Amino acid sequence: MKRAASLAALALACAAAGCSPEVTLVKIVKPADVGERQLATFLLGDTVRMTLPTGYERVLVAGSRWNLVGAIAQGSVYKPAQGVLTVEGANIHEAYLVVRDGALNGFYLPVEQGYSPLGSRIPLVIQAR
Amino acid sequence: MKLLRMSLALIALTVLSACASGPKYNEVAATFPRSNAADGRIWFYRPGIAFGAGIQPGVILNGTRIGESVPGGFFYVDRPAGNYEVLLSTEVDRKVTFTLAPGQERYIKMTVGLGVIVYRVYPELVDEGVGRGEIVDTSYIGGQKK
Repeated sequence: MKRAASLAALALACAAAGCSPEVTLVKIVKPADVGERQLATFLLGDTVRMTLPTGYERVLVAGSRWNLVGAIAQGSVYKPAQGVLTVEGANIHEAYLVVRDGALNGFYLPVEQGYSPLGSRIPLVIQAR
Repeated sequence: MKLLRMSLALIALTVLSACASGPKYNEVAATFPRSNAADGRIWFYRPGIAFGAGIQPGVILNGTRIGESVPGGFFYVDRPAGNYEVLLSTEVDRKVTFTLAPGQERYIKMTVGLGVIVYRVYPELVDEGVGRGEIVDTSYIGGQKK
């Protein structure tokens, strides 16, 4: 009982201190051909609300415009035309969308040159522009 | 009762003296020189919230201390395009990483949160629109840091 109380206290202190897990990162060695037709730009048709694997929430707003900046093995990489997107864990990183077959696979982190996967793919309503 | 009133006055004085007191953004922003076209500009600001006002960590950009996080204060630096990392010297290190393009303006907002024992301050990368809207309420706290 005492041990459980100690662990609970530790967890509480940790949460209060912002001891979030670090964002999962897969290093990208070089760009890849994703083998699908890529849109140079798209508009998001519906708002997407998601919880990152670290527990933080992010919202992609309907009507936001995304520009193709490249591709990695996990999909095409799209940068927001306006505004910023970040993923957050123990630290905060600027991020771009990684999209494949009309679904969001994860995020590309340009500074770290790495890929951060989502727990599960999220279908996107994509409008070509 | 008298002691309580004196204590409250002392606390209020401490909080007020901890806040930035320079000119407001709109009074001075137009006077800031434009930098080299190949550079981008990074704005740093912290809303003037009383909580944690006594916590004023250093602002560290790519390993170099460039200023302090003062409640209600802002400053900026011009830097070449590239990758950047901002860290505050608080009890819990929490960095933000971002890219900077030529001519681009980035806004780093410094927010107060609750740590294990004391308040702490951490940096966030915010939209240009958000940054422009919020920085106007803050005061300039120094020349451009090199």
